[in-house]
Amino acid sequence: MLRYIAKRLLILVPMLLAVSVVVFLILRLGQGDPAMSYLRLSNIPPTDQALAVARQELGLDLPLAVQYVHWLGKALTLDFGRSYVTGLPVLEEILYYLPNTLKLAGFSLLLTLLASLPLGVWSALEKDRMPDHLTRAVAFAGVSMPGFWLGFLLVWLFSIHLGWLPPLGIGGLDHMIMPALSMSLMSMAINTRLIRGNMLDNMHARHVLYARVRGLPERVVVGKHVLVNSLIPVVTAIGMHVGELFGGAVVAESIFSWPGVGRYAVSAIYNRDYPVMQCFILIMTGIFVLMNLGVDILYAWLDPRIRLEGGSNR
Amino acid sequence: MGKVSRSVLVAAVVLFVLTLCPCILQAAQKDTLHYSWSANVGPLNPHAYSPNQMFAQAMVYEPLVAYGQGGKITPWLAESWTVSPDGKTYVFKLRKGVRFSDGTPFDAKAVKMNFDAVLKNAQRHNWLEFIAQIDSTKILDSHTFQLNLKHAYYPTLQELCLIRPMRFLSPSGFPESGDTSKTIKAPIGTGPWKLVESRKGEHDIFEANELYWGTKPGFKRLVVKVIPDSDGRAIAFDTGEIDLIYGSGGHGSGQIGLDTFTRYQSMKGVMTGISSPLATRVLAINSNRFPTKDLAVRKAILHGVNKAAIVKHIFLGVEPQADTLFSPEMPYCDLGLAPYSFDPDQAAALLESAGWKFVDGNEYRTRNGKELGLDLCFVGNDSLQKSVAEVMQGDLKRLGVKVRLVGEEKDSFLTRQKSGEFGMIFGDTWGTPYDPHSFCSSMRKPAHADYQAQLGLPMKKDIDRKIGEVLISVNEKNRQELYRDILTTLHEQAVYFPLSYMTNIFVYRPGLKGVGFGHTKYEIPFETMYRD
Repeated sequence: MLRYIAKRLLILVPMLLAVSVVVFLILRLGQGDPAMSYLRLSNIPPTDQALAVARQELGLDLPLAVQYVHWLGKALTLDFGRSYVTGLPVLEEILYYLPNTLKLAGFSLLLTLLASLPLGVWSALEKDRMPDHLTRAVAFAGVSMPGFWLGFLLVWLFSIHLGWLPPLGIGGLDHMIMPALSMSLMSMAINTRLIRGNMLDNMHARHVLYARVRGLPERVVVGKHVLVNSLIPVVTAIGMHVGELFGGAVVAESIFSWPGVGRYAVSAIYNRDYPVMQCFILIMTGIFVLMNLGVDILYAWLDPRIRLEGGSNR
Repeated sequence: MGKVSRSVLVAAVVLFVLTLCPCILQAAQKDTLHYSWSANVGPLNPHAYSPNQMFAQAMVYEPLVAYGQGGKITPWLAESWTVSPDGKTYVFKLRKGVRFSDGTPFDAKAVKMNFDAVLKNAQRHNWLEFIAQIDSTKILDSHTFQLNLKHAYYPTLQELCLIRPMRFLSPSGFPESGDTSKTIKAPIGTGPWKLVESRKGEHDIFEANELYWGTKPGFKRLVVKVIPDSDGRAIAFDTGEIDLIYGSGGHGSGQIGLDTFTRYQSMKGVMTGISSPLATRVLAINSNRFPTKDLAVRKAILHGVNKAAIVKHIFLGVEPQADTLFSPEMPYCDLGLAPYSFDPDQAAALLESAGWKFVDGNEYRTRNGKELGLDLCFVGNDSLQKSVAEVMQGDLKRLGVKVRLVGEEKDSFLTRQKSGEFGMIFGDTWGTPYDPHSFCSSMRKPAHADYQAQLGLPMKKDIDRKIGEVLISVNEKNRQELYRDILTTLHEQAVYFPLSYMTNIFVYRPGLKGVGFGHTKYEIPFETMYRD
C-alpha cells in the first residue's frame, strides 16, 4: 500500500511539470496581451512606448522559452512570481484566499452528504411511491438548474423578499448557507440518485437474501448489509464532487462576493494575470490528484475485495 | 460585597450594556457610509497605477489645483499661482496651515519631494505630456514652489488636477530610498479621508481626517465593500448592505446595469441622479480603408443611423445623445457645429451621387464591382456595444451598406484600435479633465484608433500641426481658434460617429444627504455626504 501511495505521489511530479508547460504555452499562444490589460487597468493609453515599458516591467519582453525557464526555476522554490495586477506574490495571495474556498467547499460537501444520504435511502425504501417521486423531482431540478441561477433565486427569496440571510460577503454560518446550497444542489441530486440506485441493486444481492434467510431484522439488513455496501461507490462520487464544488465555487464566489480563490482566479483570467492563472491551475491540479489518491486509498480500505486483489497481485 | 449583590451588579451592568447596544449600533451606523467597488482600493500609492483605485486615491491625496465646473481651474493646495509670459515658469503659493493626516506640515519641501519621486520614474508616466515637459523644480520659500517647463505647455494646470501621478504623499509615507515607484511606507495624504483598514476581497475602511484643512466629512467612517458583480451590487443596495451606488452605468466596468438604474428611477423611496456629460462614446470611422476612405460613405453612415432610437432604447435615456466629438460643455468645445441629422434619404442620395448603386437587384450597393461593406469592431462581451452594433448593422443594411460585426475579447479589440484594422470601431474620449487637450494630443500618436482613423484625411498633417500648436499656445484667443479649426475639420470630415455622452449615476435612499456629482469621472465627493 505504501509503495502504491509513493508511486502515485511520484507521478504527481511529471504531471505537474507537464501541466505547467501546457498552461504556460496555452496562455501565451492565446490572443491578447497582458501588458495591454495592465495598461487598461491602470487607465494608461496603450502607446507603443507605454506597452514596451509595461512588457519590460512584467518580463514579457524575453523569449518564451527564457520566460518559462525563469518561471520554473523560481516555482521550484515556491516562488510563483508576482501578480501583474496587485504586484504581490502570487502564492501568498492564493494561500490567503484558499482557506475561504476550502471552508465553503467543505460546508457544501457536508450539506451534500447530510441531504443525499437520508433522501437516497428514503427513496430506495419507498421505491415508486410518493417519497421516491418527490426526491426524483428534486434531483431532476437540482441536476438541471445552473448554480448561478439557483444562487440568484435564493438571494431573491431569502435576502430580498424574506430578509433572513445576508446576500453577500463573508461572515458567520448564515453567510455560507446560500452559496453552499447553490454549489451543492447538483452534487446532492446526483448522490441521492446514486445511493438510491446502489441500494436497490444491493437489496437484490445474494448476501442480502442470505441475511434475510438468517432471520436478521430488516433494520440490520438494510443498515448493515445494504446501506454500507451501497456507500462504497459514493466515496468515488465524492472525489468527483470535490472537483464540481471547486468549479461551482468559481461561480458562487462571484455571485455572493465571497473572497475565495475562485473569484480571485476569475478576475485573473479577465485581467490576463498569467502568474496567478498558472499558480492557480497547478495548485488545483495538485488538489485534484491528491483528492483522487485519497479516494483510492479510502476505497481500498473500505472494500476488502480491492485490498485482497491488490495483495494477490503482489 | 456578598455573592448575591455581586451577581445583581453584574446583571445590572449586562442589562445596561444590552440596553445601550442598539443605541451604540445605531450611532455607529449613522456615522458610517457604506459604498461598494469592484476591487480593493489597493495600497494607495499616489504615484502609481493599478491596483490603486483612482476614486480612493482622490479621497486621500489632493492636487495643487482642482478641476471645477466647465473646466475652470480653481485653487486647492495652492492658493494662487502665476505663469511667466513665455508660459514656461509656474510659481505656486501653497496654502498655509495644511497638514498631512499624520500631522506632518504640507510645504514646498513636501511638494518638491513628490515631484522628484515622480520624475525619478518619469518613464512610467510617459503617456502624460506634462511630465515630459518638466525641466526642473525649485523651493522658493517654505510655501512657494516653482515649476520650470522645457517648453510652454498650456494644459499644465489641467494635468496637475489629475488624480495620478501628481498628488502629494507625506514625507513620512516615503520609503527609505525615496523611490515611490515600487512601494510606499503608508498612504498618508492631505485629503479628507485616511485609509485605516484593508481586508482583501472583503472591504476597505476609511476614517475622516480630523486634521483636514477644508470642510470635514459628514461621516466618521466610510466602508467600501468589495462587490465585483453589478447585479450583486444592486442586491446589496436592495438589502441595505450599502447606502450608495455611484459611478458609471452599464454592466462590466460600470456600477450597475442601465436597466437596473431605470428600475431605481421608477422606484419610490429611492433617489437617483445623472451627471452632466463626462466623456463621449464614439465610433471612429476609418478614413484610410476601403470603403470609408470615401467621405460620402462616412457622411452617409452618420446620416443613416437612427441615433435617437439607440439612445432611447439601448442607453435608456441615461446617457444623452452626442452629436459632436466632445460635449459643448467641455472647454473650447461649444462651437455650434451642425449635427448630422438622421436622414436616410440624404444618406442614400450621398451614396448615389458618389457612384454607389444597387446593381442586378443586389442587397448591397457596389461601385466598380466592389461591394460597399465594412467591419464594425466591438468588445464581444460588452452588451451595450453589441446592441448598438446590431442596430447600426440593421439601419445601414437598409441603405445598402453591408456591416460585418466583429466581436472580440478586449485585448484583441485594443490591438485593432492600435493597428487600424477596422472599418468602424468603438471607443471613448478620455473625459474630464483630459478632454479636449489630452485626447487631441493622442490623435497624433499611431497607437491610437483616432490616428489610424484620421490617417486617410488629406489634411491629417495640418491637423497634427495645429494640435501641436494649440498645446504650446499661450494666447487664449489663439487657442480657441485652433481648437475651432481642429474640431470643425474633424466634424466635417465625418471621421467620428459620436453616440452618447457618458455620465455618472447615483442611487441612494432619502436618509442620505449632500449627494452630488464630482467634476471628473473618478472623483466622488463623499465628504459632502451626511446622514439626516
